[in-house]
Amino acid sequence: MSFNHIVVQNILRDKSTYISYFLSSIFSILVFFLFSITAFHPMLAKMDTTSTLGVTMLLASFFIYVFSIVFIIYSLFAFLKKKTKTLGTFMMMGASMKQIRKMFFRENMIIAGAAIITAIVCGLVIAPLYLMVAKKILRAEIFGMYVPIQAILITIVLFTLLFLIVTKFMTYMIKKEEIVHLLKADITQEKLIKLEPFKLILFIIVSVFLLFSMIKEMNWVESFGTLSYIALFISLLLAIYFTVTQGMLLAIRVWQKQPSYFRKTNMLFVSNLKARGRSHAHIIYLLTVLLLGTFVCTSVLYSSYYNVEEKTEMLYPYSFQYTSFPGNELEAQKDITFIEATLDKAGNYEAYYSAFKTDDKRRIAFMSVTNFNQLGQHKPITLKNNEYFVAAGHEGVDPNKESIHDYPFGNLEFTGIEKRNILTSGLQNVYYIVPDEVYETIEYPDYKIFAYELDGWTNKAHVANTILSKITTEPDIRLMTSKIELYETEKFVKSIMFFIGFMLSLIFMSAALSILYFYLQTSLEREREKFSGIRKIGFSMKELSSVVTKELTTLIFIPFTIAVFILFATLLGMHNYISLAFYQLTAIGLGIFLLLFIISFFFIRKGYINKLVN
Amino acid sequence: MTDTILHVKQLQKEYTGEITYKALKGIDFHLGEKEFVAVMGPSGSGKTTFLNCISTIDRPSNGSIIINSKDPYKLNDDELARFRRTELGFVFQDFNLVHTLTVEENILLPLTLDSVSEKEMKQSLDKIVDFLGIEEILKKRTFEISGGQKQRVAIARAVIHNPKLLLADEPTGNLDSKSVNSVMTLFESINKTFNTAILMVTHDAYVASFASRVIFIQDGILYNEIHRGKNKQQFYQEIMDTLTFLGGGQHEF
Repeated sequence: MSFNHIVVQNILRDKSTYISYFLSSIFSILVFFLFSITAFHPMLAKMDTTSTLGVTMLLASFFIYVFSIVFIIYSLFAFLKKKTKTLGTFMMMGASMKQIRKMFFRENMIIAGAAIITAIVCGLVIAPLYLMVAKKILRAEIFGMYVPIQAILITIVLFTLLFLIVTKFMTYMIKKEEIVHLLKADITQEKLIKLEPFKLILFIIVSVFLLFSMIKEMNWVESFGTLSYIALFISLLLAIYFTVTQGMLLAIRVWQKQPSYFRKTNMLFVSNLKARGRSHAHIIYLLTVLLLGTFVCTSVLYSSYYNVEEKTEMLYPYSFQYTSFPGNELEAQKDITFIEATLDKAGNYEAYYSAFKTDDKRRIAFMSVTNFNQLGQHKPITLKNNEYFVAAGHEGVDPNKESIHDYPFGNLEFTGIEKRNILTSGLQNVYYIVPDEVYETIEYPDYKIFAYELDGWTNKAHVANTILSKITTEPDIRLMTSKIELYETEKFVKSIMFFIGFMLSLIFMSAALSILYFYLQTSLEREREKFSGIRKIGFSMKELSSVVTKELTTLIFIPFTIAVFILFATLLGMHNYISLAFYQLTAIGLGIFLLLFIISFFFIRKGYINKLVN
Repeated sequence: MTDTILHVKQLQKEYTGEITYKALKGIDFHLGEKEFVAVMGPSGSGKTTFLNCISTIDRPSNGSIIINSKDPYKLNDDELARFRRTELGFVFQDFNLVHTLTVEENILLPLTLDSVSEKEMKQSLDKIVDFLGIEEILKKRTFEISGGQKQRVAIARAVIHNPKLLLADEPTGNLDSKSVNSVMTLFESINKTFNTAILMVTHDAYVASFASRVIFIQDGILYNEIHRGKNKQQFYQEIMDTLTFLGGGQHEF
């Protein structure tokens, strides 16, 4: 028998310990691999000239990579803890620390190697199917199957490095303790939760403060930029941690004082919670965070997918907007004839002709009342001779109401404001609507607007293609914008986001399940012993199942509830920025998750009770 | 008494925690090269701590322990590991078998860690398996065999490398009376056949009566010792009397 034989047997004969970790590792590597297949697709450059897809995919892969580091470190810690006694036995038999480290390192490298290879083989098998789905979702019609050598190499190299470094690092975490402590590791009681109300209050206040100032867009948030988001993230994590641990402690204390504590199975349930309070709280915390990640990924990304139409219209109000610069009159005539001829064939449409004059240097534009009313998408206005009206030029930016006084148009008075940009966002900073007589006197260059609104524009991509392929924007001559085109691009970006979000949420879910599985698996032996002891003194199956049900409910549904609560609290805080549809979609999404959880809860419960009894 | 294998001098052990607790208050002890000694004492007297310190698995606070003219606590990690697998053998109450390994693999574990050749392993294994009569369970996993068998496997693992000193902590604590008998007979014959010195902690007077000398520890100090004469029955009675006097009397046979 060689040393390696022990290593291999330690894994093979302890499959149930490693299986969930192994599967989740495979899953993370698989998704990483699939994303890199997309990112390195030979047709990508042709299809996506702005390389949004490639960059986003690489970023997502990077995120998965970072997440994998955290997940693997956590899992290895858990394994080490579970193996403490075995390690003690080995040392007693005369294994040196070097040999213990070597054993731990090799065991994990075998699992890592197997996970990488399995993930890549699985990846290659499902790649054609994946690319077919990607074709649909990412609207990448030219995505065919190819031999993803680059993706394979990158996945192998990066994950081998990751496992190597993390495992090597973890071997130094094996503390050199007196063997007697190692051997007794499984009978020593874990530490109880400490009472830390001040930390809890501190981190809740910090988180609420950060969140509030971010929603209210306070100045200091901008000056700190990304740093403030990281601070919020960390303080939120800590706040959740202390809420879970302190809440657990409080619940236990309250329960123990209740008269019902000594009734039926309550004492068993609560005392078990107390004895394992710390590790229970840690699991609840981890699950909460992972579930929150899952929910955010699905709900935010999925809902944003449904807001595209609205957002596009905010930026580009018209299906087509042709802006003709001064001196382009002859060409413009030809272009307009072509556009209108094309639109005639495409269906019903409205045409709006307008014009404005602009101070090019400050990009401040002036428009006559008549021209403004001709734009057709706003309430018509009337102005007295000494009045002016303000309209926005940028989407989401309030226009300056006073700059008009820098110009010698007499004493005009402000009457009203249109906060939505009336033309393509960003074309001008602001539009001042002035009486026709005043407009005549202005001597800035004259820009003509030809705007069209096509019925059912969301499925008229082909019309946009025809027109935009012939008429393109030429600086200082003409400007061509189309909300149809923008809509298509936006939808493309959103579908990538949705796609990635979906995959990430699956990764979070699998990590959460893996952690839960490992936790139950680790405690199974001791629980079994405990229950078989209690069964002898007259403890019915029904009572046993009631205790187990309560415990599993705590472990599964408390994280779910906390995550849902935080998600909705955040969403409510942001109610100014999101539409009602967002809440509906989020609620539907959570409903599906809840259903999934209830179903898996019953499966887990049944399996766990079976294992406890047999 | 011939040469001594174990010298213990002024051994002290303190557990520091919220309350500092002195488990051993200075024990002097010698163990002869082929001697079989049982350590007895009431619960909490410090007998297991005494054994753990000698076992090199719990560092003493004060005093010295010399095993086979070496001080294990002066060795570095590698040397200590080598020391454990060449000079010492361990048997515990809860067996401490590695559940991922088969019986055979568990027995071979110390040799594997020492990278002994396959041939040598086979020879040692055959010898010990014959001696213990456990051929039929060699291929089984640790959870498929009975408590008595587990302890036989643990003993096989403890002596496969011919240690000079075998240390046992309540080796019969988890066994039924029939297994107790066979395990203790085994200890006796290991002591006689391989000339292995044995130091064993037990609370059971019957088990202790298999030894050639019994020492009694109370409140962290060596209280008394009695030697076995020709008559085992009489030896047992003497042990019982001392125990009763100590207040930890065991009334079983």
